[in-house]
Amino acid sequence: MNAARPSWFRQLRALLLKDLRLELRTRDTLVAMVLFAVVAMMIFQFAFGGRGQDLSAVSGGILWATLALTAVLGVGRSWVPEREQRVLDGLLVTPVPRDLLLISRAGAIFAYLLAVEVVAVPLVTIFFVRGQEPGDLLLIGLVCLLANLGISVLGSLLACLALFARARELLLPVLFLPSLLPVVIAASGATQAVSGGTNDLAEYRGYCLFLGVYAVIFGLVAYATYEHVFDD
Amino acid sequence: MTDTRSTRRLAITGVLTAILTAVACFGIFFVAPEDADQGIIQKIFYFHVSIALVGLVAFAVGAIYGIRYLRTRDAHLDDVSSIAIGIGLAFSVLVVITGSIWAKASWGTWWVWTDPRLVTFVIVLLLYAAYFVLRSSVEGELRLRYSAIYSIAAFASVPLSFYSVRVARSFVHPVVFTTGGANMSDAMLVWFLVSLAATVGVFLTILQLELIQRRADRAMRRVKMRLEAMA
Repeated sequence: MNAARPSWFRQLRALLLKDLRLELRTRDTLVAMVLFAVVAMMIFQFAFGGRGQDLSAVSGGILWATLALTAVLGVGRSWVPEREQRVLDGLLVTPVPRDLLLISRAGAIFAYLLAVEVVAVPLVTIFFVRGQEPGDLLLIGLVCLLANLGISVLGSLLACLALFARARELLLPVLFLPSLLPVVIAASGATQAVSGGTNDLAEYRGYCLFLGVYAVIFGLVAYATYEHVFDD
Repeated sequence: MTDTRSTRRLAITGVLTAILTAVACFGIFFVAPEDADQGIIQKIFYFHVSIALVGLVAFAVGAIYGIRYLRTRDAHLDDVSSIAIGIGLAFSVLVVITGSIWAKASWGTWWVWTDPRLVTFVIVLLLYAAYFVLRSSVEGELRLRYSAIYSIAAFASVPLSFYSVRVARSFVHPVVFTTGGANMSDAMLVWFLVSLAATVGVFLTILQLELIQRRADRAMRRVKMRLEAMA
């Protein structure tokens, strides 16, 4: 009986692939997220740089404000098939460990965010930063990876809480954005520290460390509470 | 029996709190020395800091009872958690208002984004206001369970918010408590401790009052349901 049960890793892979395959076939979430990110950048440009002001000093802030809002959109969409097509009911009757449901969801959100960042980071650099060096983009990529960890872990947990709520589309941003403020502060600080020729690596390291700590803390919170999320 | 005991406990706490608050107000305004730099406006410190500390403790109580609720599923623990968070939220509003008044007097402006503690309390306000939005959006047992989970996540966000705001801004807030001890005279410290005790009393009084009210509410709903079943 036990021998027939797939390993923890194989179950995780199956769940993650299910989400990614579904997204690749429908492209419901990803296209909307990328377009939203581009539109949000335009809004920032016309709201703050309409008179030709140089926005390079706030480019990190623009990038992370855009990504935080885009993350809310992606996280909100991430549980939709589970609810609308009753996938969750099916998953809950299988003997899949409950932590895998959260981890696979976090993995999918991580992948969506990464896909958006592949477009958004170069765009912000082109639109707002003067004199960006290619090496800096790698450092900003590391910030994206660290920030995505925290955003996806917390996002998958909070999206679960909003799943069965009334007015969930409104509830999720209200729940998610205040907890996301530390990520926005640290990630935009780290991005700004290596943008446009200002190479303040000590500040960059401090912010990256903070992003790591943030991911670990919310990882622990999610680990301690996941059983109670899927209790029924 | 239990109701009588809780009512008596509430009466004792209420009376003690009233006495402590009166003594604290008298001491702060008539006995405690005036600050050499800031003058009379420094008196707001006794209220501002006490409310801030007790507010944070209220959120900690909310998270601890949230954890206890998840372990036992006893609705009474959820009552304590949600009431404590409600009081913490009200205290946070007061912290922001008193902080803003203090900022106007000290720095000449109602709001400064460079003060990490004040900014943190605004973030905390948003975090815990969302707690009540979540509570009102979910029904039944899920409401209790999800509120408990969120109370833990929100409490984890508090130090992270403070730290992130602090590293991002220059530090201009008057630092009264340092690792080397309290940076104020003994007379000031005594009256601060009295006002802190009074604020703890206010927290405990409201907590007990709300708990009794919720219990009465639940009892009344049970009676109503029984009457409806009989009719």
